[in-house]
Amino acid sequence: MSALLLTALSLLVSGCSGGGWLARRSAGPVGVFNGNSRQEPALSGQGRFLASVVDRGGRATLLLQEQPSGRIVPLRHFQNRQPHSSPSLSWNGRYVAALVQQGNQRLALIEDRANGNLHRLPLPADRTAVRLSLSPEARQLAVQVAQAGQWRVQLFDLRSLLEPDLPGGLAVQGGGAQPSP
Amino acid sequence: MRSSLPNRALAAAAIGLLLGGCLAPMPQPLVPLNSRLEAIGANRDPALSGRWLALISGRGGREQVLLLDLERQQPVDLPGLNRADAQPVSVSVDAAGERIALVRQLEGRTELVLYRRSVQSLQPIPMVPSGVARQVQLQADGRQLAVQVSRGGIWQVDLVQIP
Repeated sequence: MSALLLTALSLLVSGCSGGGWLARRSAGPVGVFNGNSRQEPALSGQGRFLASVVDRGGRATLLLQEQPSGRIVPLRHFQNRQPHSSPSLSWNGRYVAALVQQGNQRLALIEDRANGNLHRLPLPADRTAVRLSLSPEARQLAVQVAQAGQWRVQLFDLRSLLEPDLPGGLAVQGGGAQPSP
Repeated sequence: MRSSLPNRALAAAAIGLLLGGCLAPMPQPLVPLNSRLEAIGANRDPALSGRWLALISGRGGREQVLLLDLERQQPVDLPGLNRADAQPVSVSVDAAGERIALVRQLEGRTELVLYRRSVQSLQPIPMVPSGVARQVQLQADGRQLAVQVSRGGIWQVDLVQIP
């Protein structure tokens, strides 16, 4: 009896320390996009939005979805700039940042879903953007670049460019707003 | 002469637009922090949240997770997180700087772990169903993480709630 109790306790403890009890789910289907392959997840500050990169006609394409419904949120400025990579979201999903292809250059874009504006981050010609991370409040952007065969991380101040997207702010509904003048 | 007036107006408008474009605010490099990062050496996989920047620093097999306090411009200690025999793959931090999610390779296998800085605890998070984790992102409030997992040759994304 005591052996059974010990075994049960042991299983319980190992389950807790192992994290097996944590609630989890798959991010679900990718809607009209091909296959089930989904990469590079990025959640907004409280998890209402999930950005990921999915395959669309053989091109890596940014997909923004509301959670947990999976509703696809349209984006205005990322079309025809595939392959997309390294998406990143602000607290309330107002800003969507990702790397896109423009000509032969990788370029960091930030779309403001509140007003439809697009912000580009040009980099010197000797650097190639590899990954990015937008701070949840949209105050800074970190960009991993390849330069002279080495990876470096560089930080950029966005405070003169973007309004902050702070915790407790309202989530932007819909998407694809017309750019403001 | 009359026809040149609209042309002048057009030219002025074009110059105005051009100057406006040139003078539009641009992202500014954070020079002191970038110098600090430069001094650290090779860095990759940045993850910003609140006043924190988590990244993977170092070369080849000697990489480690680094957490920088951007306000103090100093790295903070992460006792018990980095191991000489582990290879970090992907890292993410919450806005409080309390929770760090890490995918790492250790003894020939890949694992996802959650580190709580205040108590210096490390909690493995198994893939259910089994799979190989690749990239992780912790949402800013620290209550959920998204992880890219390979299962049967297909990349999937799992969302894991964290109490």
